[in-house]
Amino acid sequence: MNPTAQGTLAPSRPRTANKALVVLLIGAAALVAGFVLPWIGFAKITLSLLAQALFDALLATSVGFLFLQNGRVSFGQAAFFGLGGYAFGILVARNLAGPELALLLALAIPTLAAFLLGLVVARVTGVAHAMLTLAVGQAFYEVAFRWRELAMGDDGMSFTLPSKFFGFSASRLQDPGVMVVLAWSILVLVLVSLTLFTRSRTGQIAAAIRDNEERARFIGYSTTVPPALVYAIAAFVAAIAGVLQAVYNGYIAPQMFHWSLSGFALIMSIIGGAKFVIGPAVGAVVLFYIKDVAGQFAEYWPAIVGGILVVVTLTMPQGIIGLAVKQWRRRQRR
Amino acid sequence: MFIQILNGIVYGGLLYLLAVGLVLIFGLREVVNFAHGALFMLGAYIGFAVSAAGYWWGGLVVSMVAMAIVGCALDATVFRTLRKQDHIVTVLVTFGLMLILETVVTAIWGKAYLRYPVPPLLAGTVDIFGEPFPVYRLFVIAVAVAIALSLTAWLRFTRIGLYVRAASTDPRITSIQGINVDSLSLIVVGLGTALAGLSGVVAGPLLSLSPTMGNYILIDSFIVVVIGGLGSFAGAFIAALLIGQIHNFGAVYLPWAATILPFLLMVGILIWRPTGFAGSRT
Repeated sequence: MNPTAQGTLAPSRPRTANKALVVLLIGAAALVAGFVLPWIGFAKITLSLLAQALFDALLATSVGFLFLQNGRVSFGQAAFFGLGGYAFGILVARNLAGPELALLLALAIPTLAAFLLGLVVARVTGVAHAMLTLAVGQAFYEVAFRWRELAMGDDGMSFTLPSKFFGFSASRLQDPGVMVVLAWSILVLVLVSLTLFTRSRTGQIAAAIRDNEERARFIGYSTTVPPALVYAIAAFVAAIAGVLQAVYNGYIAPQMFHWSLSGFALIMSIIGGAKFVIGPAVGAVVLFYIKDVAGQFAEYWPAIVGGILVVVTLTMPQGIIGLAVKQWRRRQRR
Repeated sequence: MFIQILNGIVYGGLLYLLAVGLVLIFGLREVVNFAHGALFMLGAYIGFAVSAAGYWWGGLVVSMVAMAIVGCALDATVFRTLRKQDHIVTVLVTFGLMLILETVVTAIWGKAYLRYPVPPLLAGTVDIFGEPFPVYRLFVIAVAVAIALSLTAWLRFTRIGLYVRAASTDPRITSIQGINVDSLSLIVVGLGTALAGLSGVVAGPLLSLSPTMGNYILIDSFIVVVIGGLGSFAGAFIAALLIGQIHNFGAVYLPWAATILPFLLMVGILIWRPTGFAGSRT
């Protein structure tokens, strides 16, 4: 066999390993870069808004991941965001658990709930799935809204953090500078893990089921568990965001469950590019920036977002990252 | 007891008017209009503006016509342009439109709750088995029944109705048979949104007006459509009555669980039959 042909065939395997390495390296660099954020002279209010944007980015990542891996559009992902925040807030406020155990439960409960729901909900596809998740998510909102004894119903409930959290002073978590670094680091870790998951065996099987469930079943894979697992992972990410927001604000309210939050997260992921793991987070940051610029028109904000969504879906359905990748490929080909 | 059932039918009737519009649109375009609740709300506000000038019935007509025009525009600009895209893209666009409509209405009429008057002709109560019952609520039931009957007759006995049923079963085969699905869709989407406008005006005096009044009922009508089966007219009718009764009896006898019951019913039905009890498509 002539050496040039070998040269073009052989590298296919090492190259995939390289890609994983590249993802890890970019992740590590991003992680380090995060520690600079509080020191480049942002005002405290900007840092605080940035922390909120990072929570949104995590939620949007959760919605986008569900679309990427399962091909399902969810209008109810805020349910797990709220569930995480509520579980943590209620357990801490009532002294039912120490903060460490509360954190564990606040992440475990939504994940488990999503896994069980996923077994049912994954059977419904397309537009019906969007309606179904919207309704299920809203059911959580209704409970939080009406059940006054749970957490003051409509008014929401504030709670004080215990003094120590994993041995650190818990009040520092409400300092924007600290929270921005923490949220950024978590976001980077989540994005890296999700990227690696999409390349893993389970991730590939889930993608196969997304593309053709019948064929995947015919080959011999279980087609109920991997999608439910993806629901669980997505809910886990949403729950992290919910807990972070609850800790940061020291406050939980039914709005954390509301479908408009789910809808906005979905819009972020579409604007950023839901076909890419990193897209939703980029969309969240871009929307955050636009909101900052459009500050004086704050009361028209939903209409602005709606307008952006309409324009993006009509002109660049692959989102910002999709557009960037397309441009980059075009340049490479020249 | 009987009064409770009647109240359930009133809410079920409103749900039916919305859900049947969703079903009509879904049948032709295979998309769910997330802006339907916003159109319901916009219809109520337009009717309110006209009836404030003293023309209650004029408000009803103007609102329906205005919503029909909005629906035709929606079909011509959004649904037709995006028909080759993934349907979820269209759904997202309607979601964006919902956000825009809510903001526009808030900018014009404000966030405060507004009271929609009852027309003088329908004010007062009648005795039903010795208990007073508002005439207006009977009127709502009558409207829903009239619409249900005439819609069924239209679908069953007219040529266009036949085309609509055919297109709801399979739009592609229908258009291969030489039927212009695009112009059919214009009529059907316009009709669906006009019913949303009608529902909004009729619901106005029962619920108070606010820019978010469409959200709650939209979710209930989604539940109706999912339970009844996407694309099924009979399914939507039965499910709307069922949810209306559950909504009402729940509120009276199980207030703590009332808002959850429809959701539980929906999840239960979907475990049993993922396409809803009368649906064949997903």
